[in-house]
Amino acid sequence: MLPLSLLKTAQGHPMLVELKNGETYNGHLVNCDTWMNIHLREVICTSKDGDRFWRMPECYIRGNTIKYLRVPDEVIDKVQEETNKSRSDRKPPGVGRGRGRGREDGPGGRPAKGIGRGSDDGGGRGMGGGRGRGGPGSKSGGSRGGGRGRG
Amino acid sequence: MSGRKETVLDLAKFVDKGVQVKLTGGRQVTGTLKGYDQLLNLVLDEAVEFLRDSDDPLKTTDQTRSLGLIVCRGTAVMLVSPTDGTDEIANPFLQPDGA
Amino acid sequence: MYIYVGILLISCKNLNCEEMSGGPGLESLVDQQISVITNDGRNIVGVLKGFDQATNIILDESHERVYSTKEGVQQLVLGLYIIRGDNISIVGEVDEELDSNLDMSKLRAHPLKPIIH
Repeated sequence: MLPLSLLKTAQGHPMLVELKNGETYNGHLVNCDTWMNIHLREVICTSKDGDRFWRMPECYIRGNTIKYLRVPDEVIDKVQEETNKSRSDRKPPGVGRGRGRGREDGPGGRPAKGIGRGSDDGGGRGMGGGRGRGGPGSKSGGSRGGGRGRG
Repeated sequence: MSGRKETVLDLAKFVDKGVQVKLTGGRQVTGTLKGYDQLLNLVLDEAVEFLRDSDDPLKTTDQTRSLGLIVCRGTAVMLVSPTDGTDEIANPFLQPDGA
Repeated sequence: MYIYVGILLISCKNLNCEEMSGGPGLESLVDQQISVITNDGRNIVGVLKGFDQATNIILDESHERVYSTKEGVQQLVLGLYIIRGDNISIVGEVDEELDSNLDMSKLRAHPLKPIIH
């Protein structure tokens, strides 16, 4: 299961978000995207030391400032159903492997080992990881790079 | 990479309204949103920065300085919220939730 | 950091980082208990339910272990967490048998300091 699918499923649910600067935001998730940018409604903001509080009707938080999100336990059961459905839809076995090797050419670090291992993992991942992970993964990779550059 | 248009928040509804912006590094400004783009670059008019505690730069104080018309670089924008309806409140969490 | 991890009895076999997918290679740990050390020095233990290429992870039934030199380990229940990969220092496999035999109330350790960039 992808973290971002869980987050997507958590739309409409209350959640707690802690930012890298230590501030926490409690609110209902309105929307999120593949960069983990989130839009919360009916928010309570707590300062890092936990002694000041603000309420705000809504706020937009950039994904790369997030440390973690705490979501209600029941959300994970809801996401299961969705991924099961999409898993059976997209089960082309070769996909995972092909993609894997393609990426390997880029860094060029560990080709021989990677391919051998790849076929093993490919099966396990064929369960839906392959395609699902590709999209958001490359995007968040991009946003992560941006974050570093600035820091 | 599919388009950038799929922004989570439509800033259009904040145009000509007061917004509060937190920037990476800890600066915090409010101002009237005059414009924005998909990279979250923002144009704020009559912007006011909340100055920070010199001992603890993560804490903002009630001291302010006026910045006038500014552009906030999108990559540095951490958080955007409307000033309307944003208020400091007393601890809303009772004992159980040890925030 | 390493000494500390030793105390936690985490074994890091099977974690050959960045397998062919370019991801973190955590497939083998899914549905197992893992121990995560975050950049701010927290230790969070939970069941790995998912991850992506940025090492964002889903931890279910998670709890934080708070270490102190003065008293035993406090365990705070956290529940379902998504931890952003940016904020993860270490992911370790937990030997559940070994771990369940630990007497947390007798363990003493210095809390970890956060990473400073």
